[in-house]
Amino acid sequence: MRKYLEIAKKSFQNNIVYRIDYFAGVINTLLMIFVNIAIWKAIYEEEEVLGGVQFKVVMTYIILGFLMQSIFMMEEYLIESKITSGLISSDLLKPLSFRLNIFSYNIGTLAFRIIMQLTPALIVSIVLFKLLPPFNLQSGILFCISAILGYLVLYSINFIVWLSSFWFYWTFSIITIKDAVISIMSGALFPLWFLPEWLHTFTKLTPFESIYFVPISIYLGLLPYDEIIFGIVKQVIWLALLMIAGHVVWKMATKKLVVQGG
Amino acid sequence: MALIMVNNLVKDYKINVRRKGILGAVQGLLMPEYKIKRAVDNISFEIEKGDMVGFIGPNGAGKSTTIKMLSGILSPSSGAISVGALSPYKDRKKNASRIGAVFGQRTQLWWDLPAIDTFELLKYIYKIPEKRYKENMNTFNSMLGLNEFISQPVRQLSLGQRMRADIAASLIHDPEIVFFDEPTIGLDVVAKEKIREFIKCVNKEKNITMLFTTHDMLDIEKTCKRMIIIDMGVIIYDGTADHIKNQYGKNRTLVVEFNQLYRDIELPSGVQLADQQGNKKWLRFNKEEVQVSGLITELTSKYGIHDLTIKEPEIESIIREIYEGGINIGEEIPGDCKKVVSEQYSVPH
Repeated sequence: MRKYLEIAKKSFQNNIVYRIDYFAGVINTLLMIFVNIAIWKAIYEEEEVLGGVQFKVVMTYIILGFLMQSIFMMEEYLIESKITSGLISSDLLKPLSFRLNIFSYNIGTLAFRIIMQLTPALIVSIVLFKLLPPFNLQSGILFCISAILGYLVLYSINFIVWLSSFWFYWTFSIITIKDAVISIMSGALFPLWFLPEWLHTFTKLTPFESIYFVPISIYLGLLPYDEIIFGIVKQVIWLALLMIAGHVVWKMATKKLVVQGG
Repeated sequence: MALIMVNNLVKDYKINVRRKGILGAVQGLLMPEYKIKRAVDNISFEIEKGDMVGFIGPNGAGKSTTIKMLSGILSPSSGAISVGALSPYKDRKKNASRIGAVFGQRTQLWWDLPAIDTFELLKYIYKIPEKRYKENMNTFNSMLGLNEFISQPVRQLSLGQRMRADIAASLIHDPEIVFFDEPTIGLDVVAKEKIREFIKCVNKEKNITMLFTTHDMLDIEKTCKRMIIIDMGVIIYDGTADHIKNQYGKNRTLVVEFNQLYRDIELPSGVQLADQQGNKKWLRFNKEEVQVSGLITELTSKYGIHDLTIKEPEIESIIREIYEGGINIGEEIPGDCKKVVSEQYSVPH
């Protein structure tokens, strides 16, 4: 396990290299929050409550959504670039599991984002944007568990999409579609209760709401206890299913591998 | 048992046939057509522990494909490979801990981090004991001069430095087998020489089995005793580099610079005038038919001569002739030398 920890550490280090990119990342998050707050203010106009939800609750939802998105951001073209450049051969020549290797790399990036980017963005959000604390201690703890599961669900979906580059070599379109679907169906951009009834029902059948909507709802204390547990169990089930699917796709991909060039 | 055994190895690639023009591109999008290309066609060979073998062949001959199958990156279409009694593809991770590889055109070093960081990471990946790691690092430092640049980010290194670091990285875990895929590509003469020296030295000291692919014949001549020539996925020669030189390098060229311009000179039989320029003439002959000393005596007795040089053919020109089909190697050299044109056929999608 030690070797994967070391990969994560190197990935963390790798992220620090680009200073400008780092600052731009922090500013970008804050800017997105700011713009979206302005949009929601316009939607609410002077109303205090819309669809039975208070303005400040929606505000916290939006801020939390963007903060989570900023740390859940992954390097979408990592595997594709390894395949097109042929560098995947160096990875396969190591006594490493390719999947754990990629996962460790992403964990390193996640750690970097939490420590270096989330912290300043969080402070600004609390002071400037009035981010509310978790509903209570219990929902705070359950939120953390659910957010971790949300990350893993997102990662598992992403991993399968990334693996498609073994077949297509060029995955820009697929990734764009995936991003669009996730940002609408996962509740990353807005609370899912604003969706039309049928679409909201549909999202409950997908793994997407596990990513952002479930953890944020727990944070805000919008779910009764039994629904929280149900939501977390659903996250675990989706994670298990997606991991199995990822395993199958990876097995297929290795058979398909054609190392480019040279 | 040989360390590496390859039996009737075949690799087919499915390639998408692209058609010409916009219409063709649209057609290709809707109805892709595939062709099977046989990159490696039924090759067999064995390599003993500690051997140093050069793999040569023109571009697209199947060298790299073979190396990738030996290292477990690609799965063979058919045939058997055993590397130290393991199947490299099925036991990829196990096999990987015993092999090292250098791909001259790419780097395994972390691009944005100092080279030392990759070495540190490799220490954990291969679980190298601290003591062994330090010893190896010291050896490589003194032989390859890594210290000069090891704390610079890899993207700032020169090609020569990067290659030295890459080679050290492939050897840091004391592999039993190392694959070098064009390790000297793009380097200057001095850097090439250094790397060859290093590779030779490591092979001798640690008894590491090495496989080389290169387009630089000097690499082969200076480092490898045995050489395998592949063309169109088939082994066309497997033997020593000296043998090929003796067999096909019988021609010599005598370059004569005369004191004055002779329009016509009388040449003994078996000697041909290959070229001339001013007072200089290039005379070609077969060393087994014509004695050099006799030829020189004859020339000096008849003409005034300023300077003489004898040229041996370089292995490079011999290989070039083999590639171009000028030398039909199959008839004269024993071994598995049948030249088979690789089959290409269309399959319906």
